[in-house]
Amino acid sequence: MNNDSSLVRLENVHKWFGSLHVLKGIDLSLAPQEVLVIIGPSGSGKSTLLRCVNLLELPTQGRVWFDGRNITDVRTDVDEVRTHIGIVFQAYNLFPHKTALQNITVALERVLRLGHNEARDRALQQLTRVGMAQKAEGYPGQLSGGQQQRVAIARALAMQPKVMLFDEVTSALDPELVGEVLEVMLRLAGEGMTMMVVTHEMGFAREVGTRMLFMDDGVIVEEGEPRELFYHPQTDRLRQFLAKVL
Amino acid sequence: MAETVRGSAAGPEAVVARTGPPDVRGTASPWALSIFGAGISALVLVIGGVALVQVVYALEGGRITSGCRAVGLVPFTPQTPTSPAAGIKGAEGVCNIVEAARATPTTLLLWLGVVVGVAALAAGFGTYRRMETRRRRELCITGAVLGIQAVVIGAFLLWFREGRVDRFASQFLNFERLQGYWVGFIGAAKNTLLLAFGGEIGGIVAGLVLAMLAISSRRAVRAPARAYINFFRGTPLLWQLSFFYFGIVLGLNLPLGVFAAAIIVFILNTGAYAAEVFRAGIQSIERGQMEAARSLGMTYLQAMRFAIVPQAVRRVIPPLMNEFVILIKDTALVLVLGLARDQLEIFNYAQEGYSSTFNATFFVVAAIAYLAVTLPLIRLVNIAERRLRGGLLGLNIGQQGL
Repeated sequence: MNNDSSLVRLENVHKWFGSLHVLKGIDLSLAPQEVLVIIGPSGSGKSTLLRCVNLLELPTQGRVWFDGRNITDVRTDVDEVRTHIGIVFQAYNLFPHKTALQNITVALERVLRLGHNEARDRALQQLTRVGMAQKAEGYPGQLSGGQQQRVAIARALAMQPKVMLFDEVTSALDPELVGEVLEVMLRLAGEGMTMMVVTHEMGFAREVGTRMLFMDDGVIVEEGEPRELFYHPQTDRLRQFLAKVL
Repeated sequence: MAETVRGSAAGPEAVVARTGPPDVRGTASPWALSIFGAGISALVLVIGGVALVQVVYALEGGRITSGCRAVGLVPFTPQTPTSPAAGIKGAEGVCNIVEAARATPTTLLLWLGVVVGVAALAAGFGTYRRMETRRRRELCITGAVLGIQAVVIGAFLLWFREGRVDRFASQFLNFERLQGYWVGFIGAAKNTLLLAFGGEIGGIVAGLVLAMLAISSRRAVRAPARAYINFFRGTPLLWQLSFFYFGIVLGLNLPLGVFAAAIIVFILNTGAYAAEVFRAGIQSIERGQMEAARSLGMTYLQAMRFAIVPQAVRRVIPPLMNEFVILIKDTALVLVLGLARDQLEIFNYAQEGYSSTFNATFFVVAAIAYLAVTLPLIRLVNIAERRLRGGLLGLNIGQQGL
């Protein structure tokens, strides 16, 4: 089986959407406490790659290993695996009919089977962690984008995942709200959380990432230490991309 | 009036904030107000005047006039050993209606209303462009529109009473023939509601289950649900009622009463329609909601139950209530099954009354009974719709503001 120390490992992962070949053989491994940043032009397959890690997208071909288990095996209990993998989306995807607190407790009570009070305590603890405890009773529609995204992060963290996936989590935010979300992510990285971050925030990628991937057209074009990639790109494709975004 | 609001800007700001945006429609003027008043008066003269004369005649309850006798409105005399029964039951009431409709006060009120209405309409439409404030302009236009309504209704009533009002009234407005039937109408309304509520509640449950099956990604699950839905939406309810009762219940000799059989068919039928409503509602929820729920480790069914369906239900309340109003009226179709006397619903009951008296007033009352049930419901649908449209996401915003 899988006997290296990686937490997440992708083996020759391909993904087709109909006739569209989105991922063309991705090999990748993620060690505990790593902050892996994925950059690349839109349509390069970054989000699809991230969503293959918790099987929101099922790879058409290839294998995904999580914590020593092949989770692409049909016999794997995917629902159980997902409780160990947190994901935060670009569009927040909070449940609009539930308060910030209920957004978090629903999975704690129904999936982890915690008691009402225990779930509530744990949810409040996570809301405090992202600075949203005072809005615990607010509905998503009453919160700003940045506040909603912080609640979404708290919701994922409350499951006590082993890895957190961030899918362009600041892209839908007004510029003045980006900072508060990045700050939470920065703190998480500092606490040693294993993270995979798809982002367009180049400053964040450079400062927080321990490793960086540059993807284009469904393949990993370059991989390495973020500063190294930023200051000494090896390929024309990365050079052109950086010239456009920096 | 508008000035007072703006004037208070000098006062504490909280007051201004609470009164909402300032009224900028400006002042009214005597001319605009009188056009508006003329419009209203015309409408009141035409509708209220005619109704008033009717009420006065009904309360005075005069004897049957020679005019009434001439057209056959003869008081009822029961059969005696020497002579057969004669006349019309309730002839007095009908005669009152006919006389009131033809009375001079009615003529005067109707013509006066029409004349005032024409005046309001001419003056309103003739001058609204020249009004200096928005309020005056609106008053003119509203007055003119009310004037049109008064003219149309007045002209119709004037035309109508030139016809055989006596025949119309004795057929459709002979409320005395309903003596002894009034209480039965209440029971009938209760049966209508019982059939409709039974059908709707069962149908909603069936519809939710069917909708879940119909959106399955597995064709083997989806196909039977689709077949069911298409069958029940594609055949007439009348056919379903007849076939289920006469064909299946009677044919197979099932121990099932007519009433119960009818409710079951309503559930089966409403289930198909509600399924389509739910399916649309569930599919209208953003895909990200399902992904968020699943990413937290919920199973498909848990995600449906805790994340998707609660949102979908809020969105489909208006169309579901609309279906309910339709079902209330469709309960009339149980007519074909032949219910027992205490099981009759509104339409069926009116039909019974008609067959025993040959007087169509029963159908007029049936319409009133249906409206008494449906109008409050329609109002509820409208309120629910406005709430859902007003709310940010169709949710309980509003209590909190923002």
